[in-house]
Amino acid sequence: MDYARSIGITDFCDGASAGLDRNWNCSCINNYQLLVKRQLEAGLDPVREAERLIDECPEIVIISTEIGCGIVPMEKSERLWREAVGRVCCLLAEKSSRVIRLVCGIPTIIKESGD
Amino acid sequence: MLTVITGGSKCGKSSIAEDILSGVPGRKIYIAAMEPFGEEAHAAIERHRKMRFGKGFETIEKYTDIHELNIPEGCGVLLECACNLMANEMFSAGEKEPVQKILMGVEKLSGIASELIIVTNSVGEDGISYPPQTMEYIRNMGRLGCALSLRADRVIEAVYGIPVMLKGSL
Repeated sequence: MDYARSIGITDFCDGASAGLDRNWNCSCINNYQLLVKRQLEAGLDPVREAERLIDECPEIVIISTEIGCGIVPMEKSERLWREAVGRVCCLLAEKSSRVIRLVCGIPTIIKESGD
Repeated sequence: MLTVITGGSKCGKSSIAEDILSGVPGRKIYIAAMEPFGEEAHAAIERHRKMRFGKGFETIEKYTDIHELNIPEGCGVLLECACNLMANEMFSAGEKEPVQKILMGVEKLSGIASELIIVTNSVGEDGISYPPQTMEYIRNMGRLGCALSLRADRVIEAVYGIPVMLKGSL
């Protein structure tokens, strides 16, 4: 989020509390992984919801934490969550014009499309 | 040519690996190391089968002892994945030296195949302390990853479908 601020983003909403209807009025959503968790809990398909988000808000900036690098969780809901975040982020990365990975505060642009 | 692909859960490792295998001329062998235990494993296996359908891969199911495999000279091979293979060697076969055993298998296969692609998984990055057996598994996966990377021509980290080159070039 500090990095997002440094590139001029000022209005954020948080995946921990943002409405599931995507009526957000902001240019950036932080903690998208938490929104995915809430979508699953509400019985929604996170991939479908991400497709809708791309259609409705093509300019939005999405911040998500990588949660898939570790041991497969014992709890089924935790497994489904991390898999859903992986699938959603693959879709978002595919549709994004730019993907930036932040490691220890250092940004690396891992995708930059020509258009 | 040996290519290692790592990354987290559902981050596009298999798609990248299958794209590379598709580009190899001649026979293409897919070694499936996931044992079909339980409903989720069945679903994962089915999903991967659908992904591979129509690509002309020959599937061999081999859960341990990959050094025993007889593959044709000069073929392309995709081993998916080292994390399942390690779990099977350690917990099903009770293998005492699983890293050495898997490396021996890799050495043999890479001597026969024109292209060997190994999918593995960044299992040690969640920072959680687990019971001793699981910690030993994480350590072994780390040791295997280091040894494979040293031996590999290319190491790729899949980040949400994007191949990030850690060694060599695509």
